[in-house]
Amino acid sequence: MEMPEMNRRNFLGKSSIALSLLMSAQPSSRAAQLRSAEIIVVGAGYGGATAAKYLRLFSDNTARVTLIEPDPSFISCPLSNLVVGGSRGLSELTMPYDGLTRNHGISLIQDVVVKVDAVKKTIVLASGKTLRYDKLVLSPGISLMMDSIEGLVQANAKGVTLQAWKAGPETIALHKQLQTMRDGGVFAITIPEQPYRCPPGPYERACQVADFFIKNKPKSKILVLDANQDVVSKGNLFKKAWADLYPGMIEYRASHNLVRVDAATKTLKFDIQQDVQADVLNVLPPMRAGALVVNAGLANSNKRWAQVHFLNFESTAAKDVHVIGDSAQNAAFMPKSAHMANQHAKVTAAAIVAELSGWEINPAPVLTNTCYSFVDANQVIHVASVHQYSAAEKTYKTVAGSGGVSASASALEANYAWDWARSMWADGLV
Amino acid sequence: MLSFITSCLSYAVAAGLFLCSLDTHAQGQGAEHLYRRALAATCANCHGTDGKSEGRAGIPLLSQLKEQDMLAQLLAFKSGARTGTIMPQLTKGYSDEQLQTIANVLGAK
Repeated sequence: MEMPEMNRRNFLGKSSIALSLLMSAQPSSRAAQLRSAEIIVVGAGYGGATAAKYLRLFSDNTARVTLIEPDPSFISCPLSNLVVGGSRGLSELTMPYDGLTRNHGISLIQDVVVKVDAVKKTIVLASGKTLRYDKLVLSPGISLMMDSIEGLVQANAKGVTLQAWKAGPETIALHKQLQTMRDGGVFAITIPEQPYRCPPGPYERACQVADFFIKNKPKSKILVLDANQDVVSKGNLFKKAWADLYPGMIEYRASHNLVRVDAATKTLKFDIQQDVQADVLNVLPPMRAGALVVNAGLANSNKRWAQVHFLNFESTAAKDVHVIGDSAQNAAFMPKSAHMANQHAKVTAAAIVAELSGWEINPAPVLTNTCYSFVDANQVIHVASVHQYSAAEKTYKTVAGSGGVSASASALEANYAWDWARSMWADGLV
Repeated sequence: MLSFITSCLSYAVAAGLFLCSLDTHAQGQGAEHLYRRALAATCANCHGTDGKSEGRAGIPLLSQLKEQDMLAQLLAFKSGARTGTIMPQLTKGYSDEQLQTIANVLGAK
């Protein structure tokens, strides 16, 4: 039986409508999934702020992104050693968050996340609100394990020791202690075993304190008391700077593992080495992932850092929860740095956008690291590296023959360091 | 009727195949575009989002360089023909194809 011509035409007509619907249905359903997903980023430092912004950029502004941050403004840890040394002010390193809302349509909530429920896929805020997420990115930085050193909690509460490792009021307080210290006094800094935030940071700090002393209190001394067996980053360059710029002022002592602080006598006690008494005590305790990550049960590497799948920085302990920046257990030779946190953020943002679009996650992501350290107020040294993902080993590997350090300290690299900082701030905040 | 059913079926199969290939193609293009942007974004820490550097003291504005000029500089850093501080070290970590992609994404249009 032949189908009447009319019916056949109708059928074809209808099916071509159906076909065109089908053709448009696939891409638009992908877009719909991306548009409707609740994406929450917690922590607006170098990792989180950058992740929020790039989730918007990579989704062509279709993903809805909420960013939760306790602090009212951004304070940069990089360059904050210059504030300790007094050549720069903290206000130069402080920036607003409003660019993320104004320029990128990110919802910003100033609050503290007190609970993550990875089963119900909710978070609870200190204000009492519960928010549901489809994708959660945690970037809370580090927490300082003050209670791992006897007497440190009390000493720090009294201001007898300071950490000044999270840039903020303590950064200014530490500079004030240097200002009021007698000429001929001793500044002691203790460094925990690796890994900790910003490997070259403590050695840069010694340089900045020395820069202040040589200009203001030239009879003073600096003791660098390191739990590690040697300077862990840019060792030769730092040692050369100490010898050339501050002869006789800085004494480096390796293998000094701090176990106790006596606030009354300003004494540092080590597991093996002799006690050290000093006028200004800067204790950097062991560190681990931000409290939020630890409390959520995501610090599954040595109970300190969050293990992640390196293609998308998803926690190995919780689906759809991504941990980036200093809180993540890094691959070999991948430092806990601001630059690295920014790079984690972009890989993660691209992976989340790909997944919500129904696309394969980039099988070959790349990370770089660059870290500039000031050896005085005007000269800088760097370390740089490139990390390519290895599908076979499911981790990042530094590329043989790439990366390295400065040939020598220079004012040229100080210019680059400031340019780097300005671009980093804009890349994450504007 | 049978011939009609057969033709409908073959039409449906053909349409399905067409849809599939179209879908894979669109997906592939979208994903590829995203990967390329993500690769170029590894440069933004120093050179600014989309190569629009905030630098005022020496780091160049990549967004003003033409693709071919940028690629030539990147390859010169990588080969050692051009000296520098960080760029000779970083470029050696990327394949030539990756450098080409970066120049293509960030170069002045």
